[in-house]
Amino acid sequence: MAPLTPYTYIQCPCSDESSPDADDDDRTFDPRAARSNYSLYGLEYLLYCEDCHQIRCPRCVAEEIVTYYCPSCLFEVPSSNIKSEGNRCTRSCFQCPICIGPLAVNSLEAQPDQTHLAAPDTPSASHGGPYILTCSYCNWSSTETGIKFDKPNSIYSQLAKLYNGGEHRLTPKEHKERRKEALQASAVSGDPLPDQTLDVETHFAALKAFYQSQLADANASTTGLSSLEGLGFASPASLSRIMSIYTGGSLHDKRAKSRIGTMREALTSDEGLQLASLDESSSISALRLHHASTIPPTTYQHQTPHLGALPPHTGGARFPSHLRPIPCLLRTKRSKRCPLCRHIISKPEAKVSTTRFRIRLVAGSYVPSISILPLNIPQPSPDGALAPLVPAQFLLKFLNPIFEPVRVTLATPSKTPGRFGAKVTVLCPEFEIDANTDVWEDALKDGVAGKDVAAGARVRRGTVGEDGQQQPEVGKIWERGRNWVSIVVEVVPASLRLDLLAATGKFAGGEGVDAGPLREDEDVLEIPMFVRVEWDADTGGDDVGSGVGKDQKEAKEKRELAYWCVLGLGRVRQ
Amino acid sequence: MASSLGSAPLPHRSVANIRSPGPGSASGPSTPLRGIQSSFGSPSSLRADEDLLLIELGTRKLHIGFAGDPVPRGSVWFGPDQQRRVGDFRVWQPDHKDNWKQRAACGQWGQDHELWKSDVRGLDLGLVSDKIERAVREALTKYMLIDSRPRRMVCVLPSGLPIPMLSTTLNTLFGRFAPPTISLLSVPIALVVGAGVRSALVIDLGWSETVVTGIYEYREVHTSSSIRGGRMLTEQTHKFLAARLGQGQDSTSAGATEYLLSFEECNDIACRLVWCKPSSHSTTGTPDDGLATVDEQDETEAHTHHDLNPQIDIPLRSCEPPKSLSVPFDELTEPCENAFFDDSRYSRASFDDHELPVHILIYRALLQLPLDVRSLCMSRIIFTGGCANVLGLRKRIFDDVSHLIQERGWDHVMGKAADEVRKKSQTKTQGTQPAGNGGGSKSPRDDQSNIWHDAANSSPDADPIEEQLKKASSSRPTVKGEMRAIESLGSWSGASLITQLKAPAIATIDRDIWQQQGAAGASRATEVDPKGQRQSLGPGGLIRGAASSWTLGVWGVA
Ligand SMILES: [Zn+2]
Ligand SMILES: [Zn+2]
Ligand SMILES: [Zn+2]
Ligand SMILES: [Zn+2]
Repeated sequence: MAPLTPYTYIQCPCSDESSPDADDDDRTFDPRAARSNYSLYGLEYLLYCEDCHQIRCPRCVAEEIVTYYCPSCLFEVPSSNIKSEGNRCTRSCFQCPICIGPLAVNSLEAQPDQTHLAAPDTPSASHGGPYILTCSYCNWSSTETGIKFDKPNSIYSQLAKLYNGGEHRLTPKEHKERRKEALQASAVSGDPLPDQTLDVETHFAALKAFYQSQLADANASTTGLSSLEGLGFASPASLSRIMSIYTGGSLHDKRAKSRIGTMREALTSDEGLQLASLDESSSISALRLHHASTIPPTTYQHQTPHLGALPPHTGGARFPSHLRPIPCLLRTKRSKRCPLCRHIISKPEAKVSTTRFRIRLVAGSYVPSISILPLNIPQPSPDGALAPLVPAQFLLKFLNPIFEPVRVTLATPSKTPGRFGAKVTVLCPEFEIDANTDVWEDALKDGVAGKDVAAGARVRRGTVGEDGQQQPEVGKIWERGRNWVSIVVEVVPASLRLDLLAATGKFAGGEGVDAGPLREDEDVLEIPMFVRVEWDADTGGDDVGSGVGKDQKEAKEKRELAYWCVLGLGRVRQ
Repeated sequence: MASSLGSAPLPHRSVANIRSPGPGSASGPSTPLRGIQSSFGSPSSLRADEDLLLIELGTRKLHIGFAGDPVPRGSVWFGPDQQRRVGDFRVWQPDHKDNWKQRAACGQWGQDHELWKSDVRGLDLGLVSDKIERAVREALTKYMLIDSRPRRMVCVLPSGLPIPMLSTTLNTLFGRFAPPTISLLSVPIALVVGAGVRSALVIDLGWSETVVTGIYEYREVHTSSSIRGGRMLTEQTHKFLAARLGQGQDSTSAGATEYLLSFEECNDIACRLVWCKPSSHSTTGTPDDGLATVDEQDETEAHTHHDLNPQIDIPLRSCEPPKSLSVPFDELTEPCENAFFDDSRYSRASFDDHELPVHILIYRALLQLPLDVRSLCMSRIIFTGGCANVLGLRKRIFDDVSHLIQERGWDHVMGKAADEVRKKSQTKTQGTQPAGNGGGSKSPRDDQSNIWHDAANSSPDADPIEEQLKKASSSRPTVKGEMRAIESLGSWSGASLITQLKAPAIATIDRDIWQQQGAAGASRATEVDPKGQRQSLGPGGLIRGAASSWTLGVWGVA
């Protein structure tokens, strides 16, 4: 078992109200409940609204798009293209269908060792075509699916016109024209049009065209029949009459039936009817031969069909010959607003090439961070696991990031929730932390430079024992620094023995003791802790954390922030 | 509506506990943030009216896209990755070891890959809500690339979805994403539209069950299901592998099955290697004569296919220690056989309806349909669902059902008896073997094309609509009475078509009304004047009937 690094997660207060047990005021937050994972965040994932004085998580912010871009070529995509051309880069940026590494455009004539990653649209090799896409990580190449390109640029549009194996794929428009010609030819020759297998997009286009023509016809004829409603073409009421999808009524309701109108079924592949070819024996033969090279479902299931993809049941998705290069998903830069006061709490630079933010109110600048250090761990296992039933002590170091001193109040249940409740004692649940004053101000004040100030300002509050070691004391903090305080928490982990659990359950007369096997991570000692932070803030301006105007002490306002967090201390020995 | 609620609802259909708060309380389970409505709420300038989001929810995945697109823009699979705390990267650490055994011992073998299960009892609906929210949020950010302005939504849902889950879904979407309206479409209807037909027999070989739905003129007229589906196939794959590891599952012990291999590995093998052997009644030749699906690989294999039953090496990594199994290729059909067709473990009479082998399930479904409906449906069979991708399975089912029809015919549903049969118990129908009866009415007409014609069905009842249909398509008459399978675009794409054609959804629910009334406010579909329900999904084309009555369509009332 890997040793566990202590951790803290914060529950965004927004999830508290959505909890179904919210009316139970005394309820202790159970970090191990399955739902808790959806409301707990690492501090670095949380933002903060200065106006509402509240933590904001990804679930409780309103987002706006600043820019759309391709993460591979950094090309900025106009927002109008997203709806019309989709969510992928339409230039030459592709991911490997096997390992999702970036694919490079290479000339087929180039030496095989020339696999330097060429920037898209500017292949370094000045070789002539044909060109292929290659992965430098797993050595996949588009030749494995029979795909080559004439030009080294605009791979996306070239790929849209190619099926695997290299067969030309008609665009829906070309397809229409081709069928029109065939129709004329068949009218002359008298032969019926042959049915054909359509790919998903062509199938969709055929059905759409068919339905639209049927609706137009049906509408034309029904207006003559029942002019009562006199409805125009795209009228929802007439459509509902024709499609009658929602209507209840019995099966043989003649009235309902007569309302269905004259829209008929699709009858040919032109109209979108596709007969299923159920015979998959050739795929089974392929499986027999190539079973070792089948693609795990996790590789292809997570891809949505894109251009030129096969119809759903071609059975071949598992074979490498059916893979398609994955066009890079576009990304967005988003600014985030508080949903209540609409103030912007995060706004990135619009420029694609930078990862900087113009505004970013991270919760870490407002909420004290908690770090966990072992203080006194008796009889630890070699892997650092805690001994059951033996008191262990941890230091919790609270760091105050704001420019005001804060009062912190902690509350933990005396016994952690769950089957193996550990006893928890916070030796000093109430304390103050000094303001995060400018290091240089301190330096000027004391005439000492830089970091030594903080070190010099350390004050230990505990008593020193006979052996020269500091002893934790109830009601006293352990150590204090410039803008931090450490306190001691003592835990007595429960035994994880299931037989004991069953026995104590019986002893206590409890019938419903769950003596089932140990669940995943049930051996991790997690403490739910309710943190309340109070401070007096300036009311003068919006700049609570800016440190400006800290001499104008007259206008102060009491502020409070309260939330649950969970401290992961370590594993308990089994 | 409260009084109708009280009238003997099934325990799991009760919505009293999970519906959104009554008109009195403004904030409650479904309203995550006080005041969020006022800021996210109705100012129409804040809405992105042009975009209609189409979301399909299944047991294992979610598809999302813009209505009108041919395919969804993205899919999110429900899985353990979705269920971790934000910022928990322990699984990515090199020394991480997957504790699948610990999860399996607690009855969690693959359940963390599911959004919900068909039995609502014991299901944590709050957790379902969390899963939906996180998946939709990921989908919106990663694939839809849209901001968080409220957008109208269309939801494609299985038609058998229990009310509590439907209610949870609506609560979550309305509460967290604030769409002004959500329209509901059912999966079978979407599939039928996506196939270009008006009637069909939809065979959904899904994850938790196989559902057979008879659709007649865009209406669901029959539904039956069996637990034989993807989950059972994966379980059977595990059983198959475990037996060959020398440690068969000890199914006699009272405890739960002990798993030797992880769900993920068994699911992987089921998807990659398990195939379905041809029907013993199949009239086509050996698998090697196949013509239908042409694979590039065929060219090379033509020269080398001397060994028809090679040994397949299956490396297994989730067992302790890792092993490699060598299995004859033909034996890889065993899990599929057991999951979908096996009836040896039960005597015929003791089959629960919900565990029927799929071919019997389908035959019975056809048997229960009225004559004219059946003849249309059997010529419009749509296979869908993840297990439709098991190589050979669709053809096997098709052939086995054809054989059952050939063997037993429809004798019990001829003429006036049709109505009675629907009321009769199914086992009774099954028990009497129709061997000698009415051979003339069910003679195969066309053996060569392996299509079976039902002569009794080739005389349709006179119907003005049918006549019109015939006139319109004199070149190709309506196909009926013969077994025929057709392809559908799939439920997401079919729903996209419906929406784009501005056809009405089964039900359209207004956010304000939902948050006031919840599922209990829904009228029975039949209680509502159809004229009042005419609503379209087209851009700006929303016509709403009297706001006082609205329905949940086929999902009915609790
Ligand atoms: Zn939040
Ligand atoms: Zn790009
Ligand atoms: Zn690769
Ligand atoms: Zn705010």
